[in-house]
Parts: sequence; structure tokens; C-alpha cells
Amino acid sequence: MSNSSNNDILLAISTPPFWHCGRTIRKNSLHTLAALAPAAVLALAHWGVSAMRVMALAVLTAMITEAVCQTLMKQKLSQDNGTAAITGLMLAFLLPASAPWWIVVIGAAAAIGIGRMAFGGYGANQVSAALVGWALVFVSFPVYMDPSSSLLGSSFADPLFKAKFFGGTAVADIPLSDLLLGNQLGGLGATQTGALFLGGMYLALMGVIRWEIPCSFLIGVLLSASALHLADASLYAGPFFHIFSGSTVLAAFFLATEDSCSPHRRLPMLLYGLTGGILVMLIRTYGIYTDGAPFAVMLINLLAPMFALIRSHPFGTAPRRKGKSAGEWRSRT
Amino acid sequence: MKQYFNIIKDPRFCLVYNEHRPFGAGPAPRRVRLNREGFTILPGVKKKTPVRPGMLLAEHPSPEKGDLHAPIHGVITEINARSIFVDAVDSESFEPDAFQDAPEPIDLIKIGAEGEELALAVKKMGVNTRSLGQRTKTLIVNGLNPEPGVRWAEPMLAEQSEEMRMGLELLRRLHRADEILLAVPEGCDTRLAGMKIVHVKPMYPNSVNELLIKEITGEEAPPDVAAVGLHNVWSLGRTGVTGLPLTETVITIGTATDWANYIVKNGSLVGELLEFSGIRLKSGDTILRGGPLRGESLDRLDRSITKGAYGFFVVNAGEVPPIEGNSPCINCGACIQVCPTRIDPRMLSRYAEFGKYDMSRKENFRLCIDCGLCGYVCIARRPVLQYIRLAVKKLEEEERLSRLTPIEPVGRN
Repeated sequence: MSNSSNNDILLAISTPPFWHCGRTIRKNSLHTLAALAPAAVLALAHWGVSAMRVMALAVLTAMITEAVCQTLMKQKLSQDNGTAAITGLMLAFLLPASAPWWIVVIGAAAAIGIGRMAFGGYGANQVSAALVGWALVFVSFPVYMDPSSSLLGSSFADPLFKAKFFGGTAVADIPLSDLLLGNQLGGLGATQTGALFLGGMYLALMGVIRWEIPCSFLIGVLLSASALHLADASLYAGPFFHIFSGSTVLAAFFLATEDSCSPHRRLPMLLYGLTGGILVMLIRTYGIYTDGAPFAVMLINLLAPMFALIRSHPFGTAPRRKGKSAGEWRSRT
Repeated sequence: MKQYFNIIKDPRFCLVYNEHRPFGAGPAPRRVRLNREGFTILPGVKKKTPVRPGMLLAEHPSPEKGDLHAPIHGVITEINARSIFVDAVDSESFEPDAFQDAPEPIDLIKIGAEGEELALAVKKMGVNTRSLGQRTKTLIVNGLNPEPGVRWAEPMLAEQSEEMRMGLELLRRLHRADEILLAVPEGCDTRLAGMKIVHVKPMYPNSVNELLIKEITGEEAPPDVAAVGLHNVWSLGRTGVTGLPLTETVITIGTATDWANYIVKNGSLVGELLEFSGIRLKSGDTILRGGPLRGESLDRLDRSITKGAYGFFVVNAGEVPPIEGNSPCINCGACIQVCPTRIDPRMLSRYAEFGKYDMSRKENFRLCIDCGLCGYVCIARRPVLQYIRLAVKKLEEEERLSRLTPIEPVGRN
């Protein structure tokens, strides 16, 4: 009859706050997968079954590797939160559609095994896990990873290859729409730049990724590419070519924003993204690799703890000044 | 655009709810449970003692903590280490001289006491004077709802003007500050004679005293400014208006869909409140005393509304994602982004998780103002605020112990 006499009810004890924003790892993963979906569909449209094969294999290997590692490490299995699937899918996006199965398996297993679980699990890695797997296979098996040599049957060309070896004039006539629609050679999903851009915008609007990072990353590319382009247009391609070719968009929205590998305060985030964008252009222009974006992200991932040192003095303490050791306490009532 | 790019999108975080219903009277309790920890029980107060409203039961040795008075007509049924239980009886059915004489109302204004003398008189009336501020230059009365979901501030300012005026007058006479300001939400046209009003943006966590002071003065932790809650001023005003000891408190009783404000007797059992407001519980629900972000959850329905509590809420099972226990921090940084004091709840929670309380000192754990936003946004559902509170408690204990002088063994001659 009354609540006070009803002893059947078992109340849940919890800790404050008792309200919650409702976001969970799983929900964020679902948002991310939804954001990656258009690019995956376009990749299927471009490359057909071979793209399907690479994506499915990478996702599956990533999840299995995570499960095996978690069993060995006596952790709770967490494949249902979708983070391993995202890592696998992002790795697949960076691989060419022609990648042989063993490269996909090695890459995905390394991404999860070395890139993530070796550090303790999701959110403990310092460098984006997908990029660790990608870097391993990219450096070890360059021939299989080069889309220009392994996808000879394709009618597309690698725009970055052209830009690097034939100069800015060679790519000046590539329409932007071709790049946006993914009519270019490269990673099977990374090249779907238009779809990825829309997906990334969705994630930023939903608050899943922090908008400061992609924004400053793209501004970094824009500024440095514009500077080079203005210096010599015949040698260096324009800024929008660089943003929408290769894996710049994937790097800006999905790889650089990986939570545990990036700083969390505003100014560090802006500097982090800006540095990444500039590094992309430096590697593309002066490095030996045609697409600098993945390496640029790995480098800024490693720099992230340095950026994170930039922080304002905490609430109510005097700013740190020269000659004083630490933020000074003020009397608080 | 505000709801985009942001982690916190809950409209309830805007602390203006356009709530104007006057306060309802709470249920007449059948039983009350009064917290007696730290109190000295008066001689003669024991089991089976008949009590009447306003009768002094126990005194607190601290001059800043209000004494304990019986809120209802009844008989003491049990006194244990933590609580005094009083069962209600019909005052008519008892012999008339079984109860002590009714306490005379004391007109705090007329007796003309000021300063410390008034503070002592108010303490004897059951009001905690510590929460009315220490001696400062400027005292700000915090007229915002203290937490999201708590909705009594607007009707309190609008409808309870007698209590408010009395409370502010008594606060002035306590001489704790040279200047008293009343902070109300932007767009609120409250006027109180002789009161300087300031407007603040009514967005949580601005209602936390430290941040309210920053909003008003523009400075972080300025010296000589303090804030006092509206609820405390109301309590002070209530004793002034009635002339009787404080035995009531204003609470918001709320669920996800419904809420109402009541004036309830101190010590009312939460089970009776639930019954009174027609809220039915299921297993797995959480009930909490205080606000939804900073309150404490209760394990049983015979817990009570303590003196000064300002809310009682029910969070149904499934309303929020469950806390799964030892879920590790995933470094998403959401807590760092929302923390209004710019400390690092991520690292603080880890230090506490692994017992490295010493490390918390490096991260300025003392600056935590307990707003609860870190736990609110945590996607791994870690009890971040609880970890920080644990570290604060452990370190305070440690410091207290280190201040003790070790006892030298008595030498044998």
C-alpha cells in the first residue's frame, strides 16, 4: 500500500551527480560509425567487392584481436562498445582496395595489439591506434601499399603522386568535384573526402569530436598550402587541392581527434591542429612520402602531451610569474 | 546554435524554470527521525518523553550550529548514536500537562540584539549560523536555484517576501558584512526595499557560490567577498517571522517528469514524502537528498530530510546510463573541458582510484568546488566527483593527524 512500509523495493545507491548527459562510449561510437558510413558506401561504389573485403576483414580482425588481448589480460570483453570496429574501419580506409588479405590482417592486428592493448586498452594509447597499424604495413610492404602500382587496372590517378612529381600545373585541371566524390587513387575510404567531410561535420556538431582540432588542422593546411601556392603556382598545388586529396580530411576529423591522443584544452587543441596541418604540407612538399597526413597526425599525437602543458592557472590562484615557483595561493574564505 | 558543439545540452541547466506555484505544505509526519550526531542531548530527554513542536531536545556545542528542536507533537520512541526517533501522537488525546509548556515566541527584531548576541539567539532557535557567512566586506545572497532541478528560488523571492525581508534584515543585524547584495537571475525583476540587486546569468554552475562571486565581481576568489544561500536566509527569516525555533525546510520534490515545492518538517521520512506526493518506486530506482548533481543517495525509505536539505529527488532506473563499476578512464577529456575551476578531474580521479592521494596536491584538488559537472559528462561513467571527494577527505585526515603532537611516553624515575 504505502512506500514506507514496502520492503520489497531495492533502491540503487549511486554517487553524485545523479543526472548524466546520456553520452556513453557506445553511443559516441555509433555516432562515429554513422559518420563513417557515407564514405564506406562511396568506397563500395568505387571499388566494389574488393573494398568490402578489406573493410570487413579489418573490422573483424580488429575485434577478434581485441577480444583475444582482453582475455589474455583478464579484462572485461568490450567489443560491444564499437571502438575496435572503428579502429579497424579507419585502418581499412587508409589501405588501398587492392591490399592482400595478409596485409589487412597484420595491419589490424598490429593496430589493436601494439597500438592499443599494449598500452592497457581503449583510451590509454598515446598514438592513434589505426595509424600504428597503418604505419607498420606501410613501411614494411611499400609495394603492396602503393595504390598506383597495385591498382593498375583503375582509371583513376593518384593526384598527390602527380602533384609531387609533376608539379602544381599537372593537377591544376583536376576539378574539385572529382576529388570530393572520391574519383582519385589512394586509401579506399580516405579518398572519399566529400563524404568524410560531411561525416566529420556531423560529429563536430554532435559534440563527439572537439571542433577546434579539425578546424585548426584544416586551417593549417590551408595557410601553408596557400603560402606555397602563392610562392610558385607551377610547382605547388592550391590549398583546396591539398585539403581534398589524399587522407587530409580523414586525418583532420577522425584520426587527429582521437580523444586520448590529443590535448583537451582550447589553446593547446588549436595549436595541435595547426601544427598538424602545417606538418602535412611539409611532408607532402619536402618529404619522401606523397601523402603526409597520417604521419603528420602521428607526430602531433606524440607532441600532444607537450601542448597539454599549456594551461592557465587554476581558479582563484595568482598566475605563475617569473621567479616564483608555482601558482600562489590566495586566502579563500 | 548553442546546443551544437557542446557536451552539455540539458535545458534544465538553465536555472530559471518559470515556476510560480506557491509552496505547498508538506505532509503531517507520522514519524520523524532527527540527526543527533555531535549534539548533547538535554537531561530529561529520553525514551518515552512526550515532546511538542519547538521543544529543545539537544544542544550543539559549536556556537555556529543550530540546536535541535522537536518538530511535531509526539513521543520519543528511540534514541541511538545517530538519530532521535519521534512518533507522532494526537495532542488532544494526551493529558494536557504531559507536554512542556508551549515555548513563547521570541521577536528577534524587538529584542534588538545585534552581532554576536543575535547570532547566539539565532543558534538557540535552531539556525546554523556558519552557513550565514563569516565576517567580510561584501556578502552576496545567492538567489539562484542551487542546482539544476531544484526550483524553489523563484517562488521564494516572489511569494515568500515576508520571510525574505525578515531574513535579510536579520542578516544585516548580524553585522557580518558591510554591504549585502542580492543576486538574482537575469531578467528577473525582483525588488526588495533597501536591497541592492545584481543580475547574473542563470546557467549552472553559476549558482555555486565561488562561481557566483566570480560572475558578479569579475574576480576569482577575491578576498572580502562571500556568498550565502537563499535557503539559509529563508530559514533565518522563518524563525524571525514565527518567533519559534526552526523546524521546517523548503524542498523541491522532483522526478524526471514532475516536481513541486513544499515546506516540510525537519526529520520527515522520505517514504512518507513519496507517499504524499504519489511517487511510486520500482527496484533499481535511486532516491537522493539534496540536488541531482551534488546530493547524496539514500539506501532506505526511513531516512529523513535533514535540517537545511533543499531537495529530494527520484531518479528512475534506466533514466541515466548505469555506472558499471571499475570502468577505466579513457582520457576523453570531457571533464577537463567542462571543469569551471580549470583543474584536471581526469588525473585527480585516477590518483584517488589507485590510492595516490599525495599526487592530488599537485593538481590543486582543493580548488574543486564540488559542482559535479565532471561526473555529469563522463562517458565512461566514472564516479569522478566521488573520487575527488575521497581524495579531499583522505588528505584532510592526513593533515589533521600530522598536526597532532605525538605523546611522549611517561618517563620512569
